Amino acid sequence: MRLGKSIVGTAVLWLIAITVLHGALNLQWFKRKPAGSAREQQLGVGFIPVTCHLTCPVTDYINRNIEGHGFFQPLRFSGFAELKEMFLGRPEEMPATFILAPMAIALREQGVKIKIVHLGHRDGTAVVVHKDSNIFHTADLRGKTIAIPGRYANQKLILYRELKKVGLTFNDVTVLEMPPPDMPAALQTRSVDAITSGEPFMGQTELDGYGRVLFQAKDVWPGFISCVLAVHESAIQTRRAEIQRLVDGIASSGKWIDQSLTNRLDAAQFVAKNYYNQNPRLLSYVLSKPPDRVTYSRLQPLRPDFEEIERLAKEAGMLNGTAHFDDYVDDSFAPESEAIHVPSFQVKK
Amino acid sequence: MSTNPNRTGNSAAWLGAHVGLPALVVVGFLVGWHLAVRWSGSDLFPTPLEVFYGIVELARHGLLVKYIVASLFRVSWGFSCAVVVGIPLGLMLGWFRPAFLAINPMIQILRPISPIAWIPVAILWFGVKDSAPIFLIFLASVFPITVSAMAAVQNMQSVYIRAAQNFGLRGFRLFRRVIFPAALPQIITGVRIALGVAWLVVVAAEMIAVNSGLGYLIIDARNAGKRYDLVVAGMVLIGIIGLFLDLLVRRLEKFDEVRWGYGQQ
Repeated sequence: MRLGKSIVGTAVLWLIAITVLHGALNLQWFKRKPAGSAREQQLGVGFIPVTCHLTCPVTDYINRNIEGHGFFQPLRFSGFAELKEMFLGRPEEMPATFILAPMAIALREQGVKIKIVHLGHRDGTAVVVHKDSNIFHTADLRGKTIAIPGRYANQKLILYRELKKVGLTFNDVTVLEMPPPDMPAALQTRSVDAITSGEPFMGQTELDGYGRVLFQAKDVWPGFISCVLAVHESAIQTRRAEIQRLVDGIASSGKWIDQSLTNRLDAAQFVAKNYYNQNPRLLSYVLSKPPDRVTYSRLQPLRPDFEEIERLAKEAGMLNGTAHFDDYVDDSFAPESEAIHVPSFQVKK
Repeated sequence: MSTNPNRTGNSAAWLGAHVGLPALVVVGFLVGWHLAVRWSGSDLFPTPLEVFYGIVELARHGLLVKYIVASLFRVSWGFSCAVVVGIPLGLMLGWFRPAFLAINPMIQILRPISPIAWIPVAILWFGVKDSAPIFLIFLASVFPITVSAMAAVQNMQSVYIRAAQNFGLRGFRLFRRVIFPAALPQIITGVRIALGVAWLVVVAAEMIAVNSGLGYLIIDARNAGKRYDLVVAGMVLIGIIGLFLDLLVRRLEKFDEVRWGYGQQ
């Protein structure tokens, strides 16, 4: 059995080698820990690489550059399904997350004890058609196929709302659920007639020259909310100070982003390169053309906004209507607009 | 006297058969791919050259080695755990019929469940550490190994066992001297299949929020706007590494210890 032993020996050596390599290259095992980061588990916060969640990486980046270390751990996901599973299944590791507002409300309806404590953004959604199509008004969508991100996406709500204005229902169109990253290709190849999701996927179709905006959320539903920051009630009870700091950071970062076009473009650069792995040009486009396509001010969760979402979602069949504002919102964290401190942060050139 | 014409001829023929012919097919594939992209007029699907530049870009950013190492790390551990668990389990099930009757139905129930279906469970159990993709890869590869080891023992020529018993071998010595060597070729086949499956599963396994790996590269490139060159680059890298892994396992089949049972197949 000498051969067997040599094979086992080789396998063990290989496992050791690949583990050390992986640890060194991807897990930073041998890098010097920055001072101040040797603390107990940081608050894990989930996000996906879209503009609705931009304040998560912006807060982290600004904080790391001002204080030398972050105070929470951003956890990036590729889609809401994985993000939701982590949020539900591992609340100690990820007690907070950016998440779709209707999804958060639906989870509450299903008995998950979470609270919405802040908004992620306002606006930042569009419905886009192919530039050569004959769709120029919402009513032209009759009989067409429209891709939406998923069952609990607010884009489904805004579609429902706008179709209703022109006397149409979901029965008059074909609604297709599709991951947003796949939507631009589907529109370009005319597999679908219209697409709707958060940015930067709508902006991508414009940049590439085949997308035409049918309408922007900001123009038909001003102050539109898609994603919110949701936190487990257990974390609110046990880690209140950290959550307050997180909310304050997000409110501040949001105001910083909205402070100037320069800040927006700087944010596009450092977020695209360090967090989203996207082309900075794409993120720059959606953050600046126009500058109010997506905004990050007025992020307090307000009752009228959520009651409208609740009502429409119930009508559209997305929610049961069994959870209400006081069930799923804790508005004690969100600062008043005047109380938000804007960090004096400048990106080094 | 030192020159052997046959040796040179054999060497050239060997090169032609083992390197030249496959290279011709690869070139044909690349040319066909390029022509298909041009003919379809699509600017979404990348040409081979664009994919090559994508790979160069990854290398320049230092991500190529990082991602390959990350995926190999996960597959190495998942696959190794599957071997350590699957071979003994399979041998035991093959040898002890009551154990086979008790456990085989559960194995056949779990075997066809896709690793993608296990993703929510992996996240619930392991979170977003390396252990989640390792679990998925283990799960995907332990069944081919277990089933092949089990079948190897069950299908063994009973004449081997009777002959060994005539020579007085019992228990562990019988196992070590006769059963295991005779089963080894089929076990190696199962291991080879399992390694292919393990490598196949890496894309699904890295859909969980790890931030490195070739499967992650493919998922990430989809989020990056129109970077299908990187999507296909990930696919190409997975394919090439898969080829090397297969060649590696094939080498095991060349050893005499492994060939022991081939006479009867």
